[in-house]
Amino acid sequence: MCTTCGCGETGKEDRITIAVRQNLLEENDRVAAHNRRHFAENRVLVLNLMSSPGSGKTSLLEATIRALAAHDLKITVIEGDLETENDAERIRRQGVPAVQITTGMACHLDAQMVHHALDTLPLADIDVLFIENVGNLVCPAEFDLGQHANVVLLSVTEGDDKAEKYPVMFRIADHVLITKTDLFPYLGEFDPERARRAIGELSPDAPVSLVSTKTGEGMDVWLDWVTRRHGELPAATRDAHHHHHDHDHGHDHHHHDH
Amino acid sequence: MHEASIVFGLMKILDRQAAEHGVSRIRWVNLKIGRLRAVEPQALVACFEVFAEGSAAEGAELAIEPVAAHGHCEDCGQDFEVQGFRLRCPRCDGQRIAVTGGQELSIESFET
Repeated sequence: MCTTCGCGETGKEDRITIAVRQNLLEENDRVAAHNRRHFAENRVLVLNLMSSPGSGKTSLLEATIRALAAHDLKITVIEGDLETENDAERIRRQGVPAVQITTGMACHLDAQMVHHALDTLPLADIDVLFIENVGNLVCPAEFDLGQHANVVLLSVTEGDDKAEKYPVMFRIADHVLITKTDLFPYLGEFDPERARRAIGELSPDAPVSLVSTKTGEGMDVWLDWVTRRHGELPAATRDAHHHHHDHDHGHDHHHHDH
Repeated sequence: MHEASIVFGLMKILDRQAAEHGVSRIRWVNLKIGRLRAVEPQALVACFEVFAEGSAAEGAELAIEPVAAHGHCEDCGQDFEVQGFRLRCPRCDGQRIAVTGGQELSIESFET
């Protein structure tokens, strides 16, 4: 018994070590797996776009939507920003649905935010879902959203050593787009080969494409990649058109908790 | 500051574990963080101090064990420690590397 302060603790109280061994992102990863199941059920290709702020993610999406109109693919976009509905409005002006997630002060999207946005989307009627993550080259890399692939943008105004400086992000890239290549004439110092080498050290299998939404350079390579990835998806894992009628969403979620 | 989200996950685990084991006071929390993760230990500690207030883990010490990055070369079979983010085999220069360590982000245990 502690007599110094009268707190009642026994001085010889044993310290007990309790083993846990749990991933700290387990909750996020569980919801991401759940999202992934929804995408598979409805055969939706989901691409997570990440970059610094101002690398041209929204401009790329606008140009992609215009170009994919000829491919008979139904596109939807989830936009992530700290504040404003601006980007979602830009996407809607292209005639496709967009959901804006405003994260407040959070510097990344997480699986739960995406899951919440999915409740408002008719997944059975979507072929390709683009998730434009919060502009940030660090934090979004740590949070699985349930996507099929990560697309990382690097604009030529940012410098060709960006991959060396932010290796965690470029290591998880499945396709890197070097954007705003129309600005090359004004920027002598950006060496695309150096950028390619740095990316290749981290993600040897990721294609690196040079694109400009202004001139259209490289858009065909990017669009081919998107349509090929969509074509490679396995068939929907259940009859998508019955999904919303037969499947009790709330119950299903509860079930996956265990 | 995605460390805040990570600590939020940690607090959920600790709350659940404390209830499960009938623990009212946690003094040490042992984490493992791999060197390939974009997680800053000092930011974790700062967030933990704030988030743990009013919980069983208030005032607990966060002990963070950094885990070196290791790779296995799929081409020549060499096992090696990855320096920085250089994911190349030091023996054959191959790039088909399976990362075998350095991606940890876990709570290993806690002490009462």
